[in-house]
Amino acid sequence: MRKGSEHMKIERENTMAQGHDTAAELEVREGVDRETVETVQNMGAYKYGWETEIEMEFAPMGVNEDIVRLISEKNGEPQWMTDWRLAAFARWKEMEEPRWAMLNYPEIDYQSQYYYAKPKSMAEKPKSLEEVDPKLLATYEKLGIPLKEQMILAGVEGAENAPAEGRKVAVDAVFDSVSVGTTFKEELKKAGVIFCSISEAIREHPDLVRKYLGSVVPQSDNFFATLNSAVFSDGSFVYIPPNTRCPMELSTYFRINAENTGQFERTLIIADKGSYVSYLEGCTAPKRDTAQLHAAVVEIVILEDAEVKYSTVQNWFPGDEEGKGGIYNFVTKRADCRGDRAKVMWTQVETGSAITWKYPSCILRGEASQGEFYSIAIANNMQQADTGTKMIHLGKNSRSRIVSKGISAGRAQNTYRGLVTMHPKAKNSRNYTQCDSLLIGDRCGAHTVPYIEVKNNSSRVEHEATTSKVDDDQLFYCRSRGMDEEEAVALVVNGFCREVLQALPMEFAMEAQSLVAISLEGSVG
Amino acid sequence: MLEIKNLHVELEEEGKPILKGVNLTVEAGKVHAIMGPNGSGKSTLSYVLSGRDGYAVTEGSATLDGEELLEMEPEERAAAGLFLAFQYPVEIPGVGNMTFLRTAVNAQRKARGEEELSAGEFLKVVREKAKTLKIDAEMLKRPVNVGFSGGEKKRNEILQMAMLEPRMCILDETDSGLDVDAMKLVAEGVNALRDPGRAFLVITHYQRLLDHIKPDVVHIMADGRIVKTGGPELALEVERNGYADILAEIA
Amino acid sequence: MTAPMTRDARRADTTEARLAAIDLPTGGFTAPARAEALARLGTMGLPARRDEYWRWTDPAKLNAEQPEAGAAFRVDRPIFEGRDKLRLVFEDGVFDAAASDDPVLAGVEIARLSEADRADIHWAKAQYGALEASGQTPVARPFAALNTAAATEGVLIRVTGKAARPLHISYRQSEKTSDVILHHVVRIEEGAELTLLETGTPGARSNVVMEVDVARGARFHHIRPQGRATDRVMVTHLFARVAEDATFKSFTLTTNGKFTRNEAVIEVAGDGATAHIAGAALGDGEDGPFHHDDTVFIDHGAVGCESRQVFKKVLKHGATGVFQGKILVRPGAQKTDGYQISQSLLLDDDSQFLAKPELEIYADDVKCSHGSTTGAIDETALFYLRSRGVPEADAKALLILSFLADAIAEIEDEDLAGDVVARLEDWLARRRG
Repeated sequence: MRKGSEHMKIERENTMAQGHDTAAELEVREGVDRETVETVQNMGAYKYGWETEIEMEFAPMGVNEDIVRLISEKNGEPQWMTDWRLAAFARWKEMEEPRWAMLNYPEIDYQSQYYYAKPKSMAEKPKSLEEVDPKLLATYEKLGIPLKEQMILAGVEGAENAPAEGRKVAVDAVFDSVSVGTTFKEELKKAGVIFCSISEAIREHPDLVRKYLGSVVPQSDNFFATLNSAVFSDGSFVYIPPNTRCPMELSTYFRINAENTGQFERTLIIADKGSYVSYLEGCTAPKRDTAQLHAAVVEIVILEDAEVKYSTVQNWFPGDEEGKGGIYNFVTKRADCRGDRAKVMWTQVETGSAITWKYPSCILRGEASQGEFYSIAIANNMQQADTGTKMIHLGKNSRSRIVSKGISAGRAQNTYRGLVTMHPKAKNSRNYTQCDSLLIGDRCGAHTVPYIEVKNNSSRVEHEATTSKVDDDQLFYCRSRGMDEEEAVALVVNGFCREVLQALPMEFAMEAQSLVAISLEGSVG
Repeated sequence: MLEIKNLHVELEEEGKPILKGVNLTVEAGKVHAIMGPNGSGKSTLSYVLSGRDGYAVTEGSATLDGEELLEMEPEERAAAGLFLAFQYPVEIPGVGNMTFLRTAVNAQRKARGEEELSAGEFLKVVREKAKTLKIDAEMLKRPVNVGFSGGEKKRNEILQMAMLEPRMCILDETDSGLDVDAMKLVAEGVNALRDPGRAFLVITHYQRLLDHIKPDVVHIMADGRIVKTGGPELALEVERNGYADILAEIA
Repeated sequence: MTAPMTRDARRADTTEARLAAIDLPTGGFTAPARAEALARLGTMGLPARRDEYWRWTDPAKLNAEQPEAGAAFRVDRPIFEGRDKLRLVFEDGVFDAAASDDPVLAGVEIARLSEADRADIHWAKAQYGALEASGQTPVARPFAALNTAAATEGVLIRVTGKAARPLHISYRQSEKTSDVILHHVVRIEEGAELTLLETGTPGARSNVVMEVDVARGARFHHIRPQGRATDRVMVTHLFARVAEDATFKSFTLTTNGKFTRNEAVIEVAGDGATAHIAGAALGDGEDGPFHHDDTVFIDHGAVGCESRQVFKKVLKHGATGVFQGKILVRPGAQKTDGYQISQSLLLDDDSQFLAKPELEIYADDVKCSHGSTTGAIDETALFYLRSRGVPEADAKALLILSFLADAIAEIEDEDLAGDVVARLEDWLARRRG
């Protein structure tokens, strides 16, 4: 790409920041998606970019064996867990950071990060809301978490008995390094569902954790996952017992707050035979002009006839318009459809992060198991995203479907990277992949890098990809009906993403739709 | 000519029975119609007779002039004189319609020990027959059924029938997706091929095709069996009262 | 940090050993280009299995100092026999004047590299190794650099008018261990036109580079049936630059061959240029191992251009097909229409198809798409044909031809396309039943 990047550099230098008028007047006409238009109207820059000044307890900067031990100790872990972490750390020291993704970022100094940060007020459990650090509460409020759940998350005693408002979603919030609270625990317990922080699970359910942790994403799977294995501070744990439909959606909110702090959370979900769960994940971080590291691991084990839906709205701080700051998001997510007819559906809306390196994958081991991946990835300004999925077909009659919608604007680079493998034994299997890229403006890039490996002939693999710009006719049509260009683009882009938005649970879909519009702010003009 | 006895068929993969003892005899020179509601097994019968994969015959027989059809490969059945006009003719991109026809005609001639047609002879015959079916030369040049309208596809089926000169013709829902004019054209093509030595089995959901291709015998099929047999008036009865009455009467 | 050092050291060793086995030419107008190519090769080294673009094709056979002995296919049935053309014959990589036609064709200058290279000045001086050099980024193509550095034979073709008949480079192999390196340079001047036929197997192991510069408004057609030697080990590189309103079209037919890697790097460099590249590959492992790899890079750097990649593979009995194809649209290359299709038909359960169809796009007003499918013969179509009386084997052959039709359609000349189809039919007929 030598020639290409030179050319691009010149273009960048020649391009002056162009002024942009936000439409003052708003008229919602028939057939126009009010939600989208309002969002565009209210569009500020990054909405979650505030920071909460909370007194934090930090471990010393950098990572070494002592830090790994310290994290383990702070979490009150048994020896086997400490050993597991140390083994991972030993491997990590031998590994090199992967560079194959189409991502361009300065070298990360792994020794100038904090690997452990915890709000000091968590040390003792508050008795009522009054005793809770008001700043922590304010944080949850800004995140849109309901009051009762705020109480639970803040660890208020007896909060479980307070009346709930609205729809029930059990929330586990992870604030920098630690889980600060989980809601609806009792109600879930009645159904036999375990939903708690991973640190609690290590203490309370060691048999389950020992059996499954690292069984989907091995300890030394890749550079970032190995680092996570060594230093993960917290995360969520879910176990759904056999033949149980989880009575509510489970949700985790991840929040990076402290400066120079890496967040390494680990999630483990086990869906036992014939069970079902829908899991939502949201993430935000404050605006800062230095990049922050996030390297999470999500492992999902799905047994016979079980089904897991995992939906993510990733809205980490993307950095400013000039590419300063933002989250470097290196995530390993993998689901193992271990039993026959096991089913997993990944849905992701990736709008945040300066750097996204993420490939939620499906191992389709069971016969007639199914994997689905629906993705919207939006990269604006100087964002770079390299994301996609892997569908590893090992079992007979397995099915997979990939729908990826990539949107590039500003000077962003957006890459779909995927792998579909049909193992010789995966007879009669099917894959269908549709990857569409949309370019907004002539300074961004949209790339598609699929790998297809077919090793038996009774399986059928179909891959289609298109790249185009926002349709001028559609834009004109919207504008002739009174929308300004930005509204029109947001509307058309939402249409382009429709298939993926529809795969999201209702509330998330609404949030995602507004996020699409917000993310594209400043992309036209 | 065609004799079906106690034919039982199930879907190979699911083991689900579709035909549950079909008995039917079609004599040379006659036109038989099979009518029936959706899911009665009409199309399955046509596929089983022509030898499509995916069906398991569990009992019974089907013979053409005394020869057991069910043991033959699809191409052997074609060479024996059986022809199925598909409900959904298959598109084959990259294979010219002419190449397709000539390959088929000569394969059958060869199988019957007849001499293959030369390119010149073949062209002459095709042009002639295409003309009567109002198929223009352009359609002959295009790949098989690719980009053809519904009517063109069905006319192309009849052209194949005309070229291959089968003795037993099965028309599977030939009227589906056709407007009245297209249907008339197809029916005219079929009527032109009526011959004392040739028999037809017309499978249709509606009576309207039978206005144009007059049947000698009409059978009603339901739940994998022929439940009623009669003359052309039976088709009119279906047209007037639907299937419900007839089915109720039997039940 | 120790492991990669070892890999680099191993790569350097392999490169050094490979070069030591070659008698590198000196002097002549190509000398500076050869020296640069040698330096390039030194920097990049020969490929290793871990390299991204060699993940599915093991370069060991090409890296080896000596070729594996391979039975010659001396009696390779001729193709394009009935066509009026000017034939140049290479036997085991050496020009055979006696078997060749007199190289005189109006509007076409033809010279042998081995003869022309005695001079210091030649029209080809600016071009020899130039497109190869620019084709080394973003992906290294070490065997092409090796070729530029080491080739002593090849044809230099300069076309100034519309060539009255096709030029035919015909390869023959008679030695079991011939290790052939050929480097052709083609320049089609403004508004000129040439059809180039390239047929046969050059040697037991061969490395062929062709650099084609198509000037403004010129047209170049290339049809390449690669011979049927089953033991053949072959790597080819086609480097092209297509200027304003010029047309480049290349079609390759591969039947048999235990190892074939066809790389193409096409710079679509002038506004309104057209570049089409197509390939049909058929391999039946029963004839011997079959590994076929198409690695294509189309580089759009101008406005309003069109490119098409159409690659089809038919694989049987453990045959392996690889397709790595990329469309790059550089910033500013607006109104690009880029299309790519890679498909494979797996005739049994042993064969495999490995594909990486890539798009890398830096301009917004473009229409780019790719598709890739893999599967068995369409059972419905097969049944349709059989229900019309066509025996199964014939029906399959017909469906295979129909599967390949889109690739063959890229051959503009109907007669030449007919010859290619005849060869295909012949290949299929011998594998029937």
